Amino acid sequence: MPASHSFRSLLPVLILLVLLALVPLLSPSNRFVSLAISAGINVIALYGLSVLFGQTGILSMGHAALVGIGAYTAAILARDFNIGFWLSIPLAGIMAAIVAALIGIPSLRVSGHHFVIMTFAFGQLLAIILTNGGDYTGAASGLDVQQPVALFGLSIDVLTHYYLTVVFFVALSAIASWAIINSRYGRTLRAIRENEKLAASLGINVGRHKIGAFIVSGVFAGVSGVLLAYFLRHISPSQFSSFPSIYLALMVMIGGARLLLGPLAGGILVAFLPELLNLDPVQSRILYGVCLIAVILLLPNGLIAGIIAGWHKMFDRRAAQPSEPAVEREGK
Amino acid sequence: MDILLQQILNGLSIASVITLIAVGVTLIFGLTGIINFAHGEFLMVGSIVTWLAVANGISFWLAILLAMIVVAVMGFALERGLFRFTLERPTNGFIVSLGLIIVLQHIVIFFWNANQKSIPRPLNTIWEMGGVRIASVRVMVIFITAAVVAMTFVAVTRSRYGRALRASVEDRDTAALMGIPVRRYITGVFVLGSALAGLGGGLLIALFPITPFTGGTMVMKGFAVALMGGLGNLTGAVVAGLILGIVEGLSAGYGFSEWTDAYSFGLMILVLLFRPNGLFGGTSGPKMA
Repeated sequence: MPASHSFRSLLPVLILLVLLALVPLLSPSNRFVSLAISAGINVIALYGLSVLFGQTGILSMGHAALVGIGAYTAAILARDFNIGFWLSIPLAGIMAAIVAALIGIPSLRVSGHHFVIMTFAFGQLLAIILTNGGDYTGAASGLDVQQPVALFGLSIDVLTHYYLTVVFFVALSAIASWAIINSRYGRTLRAIRENEKLAASLGINVGRHKIGAFIVSGVFAGVSGVLLAYFLRHISPSQFSSFPSIYLALMVMIGGARLLLGPLAGGILVAFLPELLNLDPVQSRILYGVCLIAVILLLPNGLIAGIIAGWHKMFDRRAAQPSEPAVEREGK
Repeated sequence: MDILLQQILNGLSIASVITLIAVGVTLIFGLTGIINFAHGEFLMVGSIVTWLAVANGISFWLAILLAMIVVAVMGFALERGLFRFTLERPTNGFIVSLGLIIVLQHIVIFFWNANQKSIPRPLNTIWEMGGVRIASVRVMVIFITAAVVAMTFVAVTRSRYGRALRASVEDRDTAALMGIPVRRYITGVFVLGSALAGLGGGLLIALFPITPFTGGTMVMKGFAVALMGGLGNLTGAVVAGLILGIVEGLSAGYGFSEWTDAYSFGLMILVLLFRPNGLFGGTSGPKMA
């Protein structure tokens, strides 16, 4: 699937985001807005994952750990250096990128399967380190974030203002992801995804680009972590351990990692599905698991790509472009 | 000195359970290339079955047998129903197993809540030897595991089925051409691995209380051990299991207990970095044309 080089792939996402930004006009309930905010925060991290998984074909099962780095950076900066929300965002992005590099450089020495396990192990290790970090990381009970958030003197701690801020950052990350996909760099990453050996023989430094993609996805995760910390106002290690990582991977799989609409759809769907079906948390997690398995076995390109393919099949007999599995075969 | 011995014994009994997981993981990976993270949940289901059986008045020994059978049937069903369709793309199998983790954990929570579950110790004797207190239940766990692993080892290395299995691990296609029913062996390995996980679950709940989330940590340790030993390498898994058990036991005995969980991950990362095929060499997955 060659990424369309036009603005056309970005347009539906931006239109959707503009519509979403208008949602507060309908005066939705606080619960709805809170859910939407956490969905949006996830979507930012998902756009990073989509660069990593969708474009480069590497899966990270420890991504919540990078979100955690962002969140803890924000919380510690606020506590020790009195640095507020806006400055935290770039700093946490940089910090998460550094950690991504530290994880990525050794992890990517090992290929395929093993990389996935490495990211998972690093994610677990981070949760253990945060738990054993004593007063500095607040141990198992975590840290509070008390700094107010303001823009030009206007407080955006109000739920709807914070919602708009999140929508703004989602738009930013969608645009960033789009720019990466349609750049020379994105093309290089896809070349690696399609055939690593061929890419290497064309003079592409495969290792360095993979690490690069991991670092880029780390920046997204870091920014999402700051937004999370300032939204929840309290963070603890368990929020960034294995389940949240699986959860992020699930969202990117359900939405589909290769389409620009995928992360947005996945994040929103997974956040609101239990609400729509009126499920309790345990039931909804069972449903997530079943969805993940079903999507992998039946719609390996994700839900959106599956719907589009189904649409083409029904209304456009000749448009049967062979759909390619999102997950490449490994272990040759 | 006494503390040292005691901690080593404690470490070894946990290592036994981890080794049981590692053997299943390593066999399944060797043959199919699927990293089955849900293996820890198989173990947890084994614990739950044991817990339910003991709570209903069935003796512990029958209960672990029951756990093995239930988990083996579950493994059979999951292999036929799900993993069979991911054989061509093992990474998909891995993702399916992540989905399964969530499903199995929460089904258990749904029916039997998330609280800790424990059974009365099946053996209560504590031997005192020169100041060392040895709980017989730990010795029992070590002996059962040693016996079962030894049996598996002999079956894999000596019997003709074991030879066919190793041939399939070496090269699935050629083995199939030689008339080995590889698909059936894959199912067989899933069933065997699941039964071992069921046994591990039964033994684990005899040692410690468990929660529906126990499987997650145990599988990571099982994987750490399987990786250190070299995926697909049975001997390696057993030796690495011993190493991890002793390291964990010692660290708990000398006051670093809050870091015990970190060792398996740390060791795993180090091994993967410097000896990606494990300490004893393993396969990097089935060769596929």
